[in-house]
Amino acid sequence: MNPDMPSPTAPADGEVPDLDLVKRCQAGDTRAFDVLVAKYRSRVYNMTYHLIQNETEAWDLAQEAFIKAWRGIGGFKLDSGFYTWLYRITHNVCYDWLRKKKFESDGEFDDSRTEHRVAAGAEAVPQMAPRPDQAMRNAELKIRIDAAIAQLSPDHRQAILLKEVEGLRYHEIAEVMQCSLGTVMSRLFYARKKLQEILKDTYENAA
Amino acid sequence: MKTPPDENQLVRYLDDEMDLAEKNTFEASLAADAELRAEIESMSRLGAVLRSAMPDGRDVPHPDFFNSQIQVRLAEEKQAHVREFHAPAQVGGWLGWMRTPWFAAAATAVIAVVAFGFWQDRHSAPTGLSVVLSTYAPNPSVHAHSFHSGEAQATVLMLDGLASVPPDRQIVGQQVHHSDMDRQVATTPLFSDEGRVLLVRAVDGRNQPRLLEHTR
Repeated sequence: MNPDMPSPTAPADGEVPDLDLVKRCQAGDTRAFDVLVAKYRSRVYNMTYHLIQNETEAWDLAQEAFIKAWRGIGGFKLDSGFYTWLYRITHNVCYDWLRKKKFESDGEFDDSRTEHRVAAGAEAVPQMAPRPDQAMRNAELKIRIDAAIAQLSPDHRQAILLKEVEGLRYHEIAEVMQCSLGTVMSRLFYARKKLQEILKDTYENAA
Repeated sequence: MKTPPDENQLVRYLDDEMDLAEKNTFEASLAADAELRAEIESMSRLGAVLRSAMPDGRDVPHPDFFNSQIQVRLAEEKQAHVREFHAPAQVGGWLGWMRTPWFAAAATAVIAVVAFGFWQDRHSAPTGLSVVLSTYAPNPSVHAHSFHSGEAQATVLMLDGLASVPPDRQIVGQQVHHSDMDRQVATTPLFSDEGRVLLVRAVDGRNQPRLLEHTR
């Protein structure tokens, strides 16, 4: 696991632990659910956005994931991670949508059929406000990485995001994607090989 | 898709999924394999670039609206569930009952009771009477009962045992004729019988009611 990545479920100081909120949700407390939504909406939206590559659809699907989570929260087992469970629901919502839209074709995502738009600089402006030339390089790098990830199949894309961005362990990725550990490793290996092929010049120069 | 063992080992080493013994063995083989070492270094750099360029969260556009929409949908589902719970049984279920041998006798008895009630109603109550069959007050010190006022053409609910309203309390009433929820912006304007907007109700991110506008 990436040691720099904080556990998504670890409560910050003064924050109510997820499982306490889940128990209140199971008793019908929609306010407790609202707190969970506020806590995880950006991560869930990040996942739907990367999988769907369309801002509006990603927003709607993130909503759908939370609604399904509410419907199913009565059956949630308190000995497992809420975050992983929520991610699995989000995964299913996105894949149902992808199946419905017939976006999948032979394992590779057809970029021309998406509405992928990268707002240059919009999400790549660093918080520390570096020099303009550095900011431009970062923005350009971000655009290239987004475009490369968009070329992966949804399975490969999700595996790499769950590992590199979310920092999940293999068994957690397997739980979210409902596949074996071997499949997780395979997806990560081939996703990285593909990204290496597309981005090699970019990241070798960036290093 | 089956991955050869060395590829599995490669990703497990990269992602720190090996135990100490496996890691030591792998690092020993790594020292003797320049090609494998180069591959590991290249993939490590790729991972570092991905992590540095990709946020682990993405700001949801209109985050408050995102939360309030979920709360609206949960409230709608709850209402739908209540309606479903109180809805009459489906036709299929009644058809099954109708096939039972005692159905004819029971139906005759029910018709007789309904006819008697109807006859009683015509002779003892004004037309349009709304009858409160039972009342329940959660506070045991409050007694609830009702009567029908023919003059006001209204059923009046009486609550005995409540604290009296302070005499200096100003109470202003508004006659709300109808409301119309706008799902796009999650607001509900309340209209007078003249079609004038009396006030607009909305909910905030925690589903608490908020008054957006109040026109007189």
